[in-house]
Amino acid sequence: MSNPVHMGDPTVFVVDDDASIRDALSLLISLKGLRTSVFASAEDFLAVYEPGWRGCLLTDLKMPGMSGLELQTVLRERGITLPVVVLTAHGDVSTTRAALKKGAVDFLEKPVDDDVLVDVLMNAIRIDGERHLAHVHRAQTVARLERLTPRERDVLDLLAEGLQHREIAERLAISPRTVEVYKARMMEKLQCHTLAEVVRIGAEVRKERSEQQVDDPARPGN
Amino acid sequence: MIRTAFVGASNASRTLLRRWNSRTAVIALVYVVLYVLLEWLSHVRPRLALGITPWSPQAGLTLAFLVLYGPRWSAVTPAAVLLSEGLVRGTLVALPVLLAASLWIAVVYGALAAILRHWELQAPIRTAIGAVRLVGISVGGTLIVAAGYVGIFVAAGELPASAAMTGIARYWVGDLNGILTLTPLLIHVTAWRECLRRLRTHPWEILAQIAAVILPLWIIFVLPAGDQLRFFYLLFVPVIWIALRWSLPGAMLAVLAIQIGLIVAAQTHIPTPRFIDLQFLMLTLSLTALLLGAVVTERAGVLRRVAMREAEQRALLAVAPDGVLAVDASGGIRMANPAALRLFGERASAQQRPRLTALLPGIELEIPEGRATLDGRREDGSRFPAEIAWARLDAPANEGFLVTVRDATDRRRAEEQLRERDAALARAMRFAVAGELASALAHELNQPITALVSYLQASEILAAQFVGENDRLQTTLSKAAQEAIRASEVLRRLRDFYQGGALKLETVHIPAACSAVVRAFEDRLRRANASLVVRIDPSIPAVQGDGTQLEIVLHNLLANAIDAVMQVARPWRRIEIHAVCEESMVTLRVEDSGQGVAPDVSKNLFEPFVTSKPDGMGLGLAISRSLIRARGGELSFEPSRKLGGASFTVLLPIEIPPDTPLL
Repeated sequence: MSNPVHMGDPTVFVVDDDASIRDALSLLISLKGLRTSVFASAEDFLAVYEPGWRGCLLTDLKMPGMSGLELQTVLRERGITLPVVVLTAHGDVSTTRAALKKGAVDFLEKPVDDDVLVDVLMNAIRIDGERHLAHVHRAQTVARLERLTPRERDVLDLLAEGLQHREIAERLAISPRTVEVYKARMMEKLQCHTLAEVVRIGAEVRKERSEQQVDDPARPGN
Repeated sequence: MIRTAFVGASNASRTLLRRWNSRTAVIALVYVVLYVLLEWLSHVRPRLALGITPWSPQAGLTLAFLVLYGPRWSAVTPAAVLLSEGLVRGTLVALPVLLAASLWIAVVYGALAAILRHWELQAPIRTAIGAVRLVGISVGGTLIVAAGYVGIFVAAGELPASAAMTGIARYWVGDLNGILTLTPLLIHVTAWRECLRRLRTHPWEILAQIAAVILPLWIIFVLPAGDQLRFFYLLFVPVIWIALRWSLPGAMLAVLAIQIGLIVAAQTHIPTPRFIDLQFLMLTLSLTALLLGAVVTERAGVLRRVAMREAEQRALLAVAPDGVLAVDASGGIRMANPAALRLFGERASAQQRPRLTALLPGIELEIPEGRATLDGRREDGSRFPAEIAWARLDAPANEGFLVTVRDATDRRRAEEQLRERDAALARAMRFAVAGELASALAHELNQPITALVSYLQASEILAAQFVGENDRLQTTLSKAAQEAIRASEVLRRLRDFYQGGALKLETVHIPAACSAVVRAFEDRLRRANASLVVRIDPSIPAVQGDGTQLEIVLHNLLANAIDAVMQVARPWRRIEIHAVCEESMVTLRVEDSGQGVAPDVSKNLFEPFVTSKPDGMGLGLAISRSLIRARGGELSFEPSRKLGGASFTVLLPIEIPPDTPLL
């Protein structure tokens, strides 16, 4: 059913109940230089999915069993960020609109023109790459932040708020000299070379925190 | 009959003894006292010891009493006879002879009463035939009484055989006279109140009539003895007058008065040898009054019935919704009812002497009965489709016709509207079928076309790889792909044509839509012998949507239900339509008692081309669901728990949801 998937390489995952369409699309896509993997149903795809898969998902909307829209819902519930491109029959305006609302990055109308197909798929793969990069960057930042001591963390927060060394020293009841030391150590741990980079990371952390608070008001903020 | 009466009388005496109570005692006592009193009053110069008087009112009393209360009361009669013999006449005849004679009287009168009751003459006499029967029975009956009575006396040696014939004649005429004068009057007791009313309404006329009775009586009695009865015929004048005016009760009262007057006068003024003449004259007078009175009564009854019938017919014609015209043989209108005047105007009224052909040109009344549709002319000259029916009138009004006219304009217009409506529904239905077909076809064909286009485009790439830059092959493959895309475009346009603009928004009244569809199925329901129950919550609000499309859906569901119930035996063919409103949704359910839907079919029930009918296309439910969904509703299926067959539910939001793509 599924072709061997190479972890990390972008692949187009094709989900369609029509065997001919599956076959023709995967042939065309592979000839355009993209790796493909085909599934006869949404259930099949979900059964074998692994978190390391990269690329995009090309799914039909109207299928027996789980429909394309339902598949999107399940993906979101499981936190799978693979970009989704939907294949629609012509005139199926309302379903297409619903799919886009659920976060599909684009839609293709049957029959599909090969140039449009490649454009849309490449764009989706690019989005996946960006999402992946952002994810990796975020993970690195988080890992670096975890190496900071609480005092270094406080200095970071206050720098991000735009305070001067003297003000930070007053706020934390330490000498400006000590602030300088914490700042140098913190910049080394975060692998930042300029103050601007430090402020950006600090802002990201603050933003993340406030988002967490909005998502889950029950969790006490720090 | 006499034997029956005999047995009846003995049975009756036993019954009487058993049921002896105060009421029977009073009735019997009153009868006996009256009997003796009448005997005493009329006891004028009896013939020998036989107790024969010129008239016997007690005979009339006895017969009336037995007719009114029943022949079983004849058990009391011998007592009355014996008592009056003893008290009034002080007779010297031996008791056994008297006993035998009185029993004879009782038995015969009992039998006569039974016969009269059989003819229902215990009710006041209203017909001539009733009067004739009374007379016939009285003539025969009193003759039997007289013969038996006199015979008993002759046999006992109380009377010489030579006097028997005269005795019988006198007794007979006396009893007959008493009966004919008194019995009808006594039977008429209940009708006397009527007479009293007339006394108040016509006092002067009645006074004149009384004078007309008294005057001849006076003339008769002031004349010398030899000429007295010569002017008896004068008495007929007031009797006939009274009979014609007041019918039977009045005539009989007059006769009674005359009889009493004559009897009183006879005590002093009339010699015994002329008594037999007097008796016969009185008898003739009574007979005349009775028969004439009965005829007049009958005529009054007939006139009343005719008047009633005429009043009914007038009312019928006045309220009849159709025009009714009575026409004579030459085509002239004799009568037109209000509906006819409304149709044709005042010129149709009989006073204007119109011709039927002026109202209904071209009408030909040749056969005795018929129907036709003609052009009628209104008063203003305009025409209307007139449905007419006519019948020749029976004798004696023959040579004429009765014609009914109905204005068919409204009905025709209604039929026309119904036809147009059906045609519109059929058109919409065809359009919907074509749309569903196009949509299904477009979808099914578009799939292989999609694969085809992709294959061709892949082939282009492959060609470039393996054959090199061969322009002709690549161009050809590219053209092929373009053609496939064009085919898909054609399908899209076809689909869009049938979907575009199909939905028009209007206010739809669910009950009206339901009844319109049900009406269209009345014939089929009747043929299928299926019962249909429609229960629609009257508070259902009107919904937004396309009325014709909703009717198409209902039409499909009801047609399916009828097909389904046809598969089961007759008594259980049942279909129910329910409609209720819950919050912002109207729920409309069509259930049937058919065999339901097989589980493997029910999964794809609403897909195009899925059907369980041998001659079905499998589009009805697919169309219905598309139409309902297009306005934001839903059509679903479940097995009917109540009726055992299928249950289809239409859910309609009252307002169309804002994000519904109105295709």
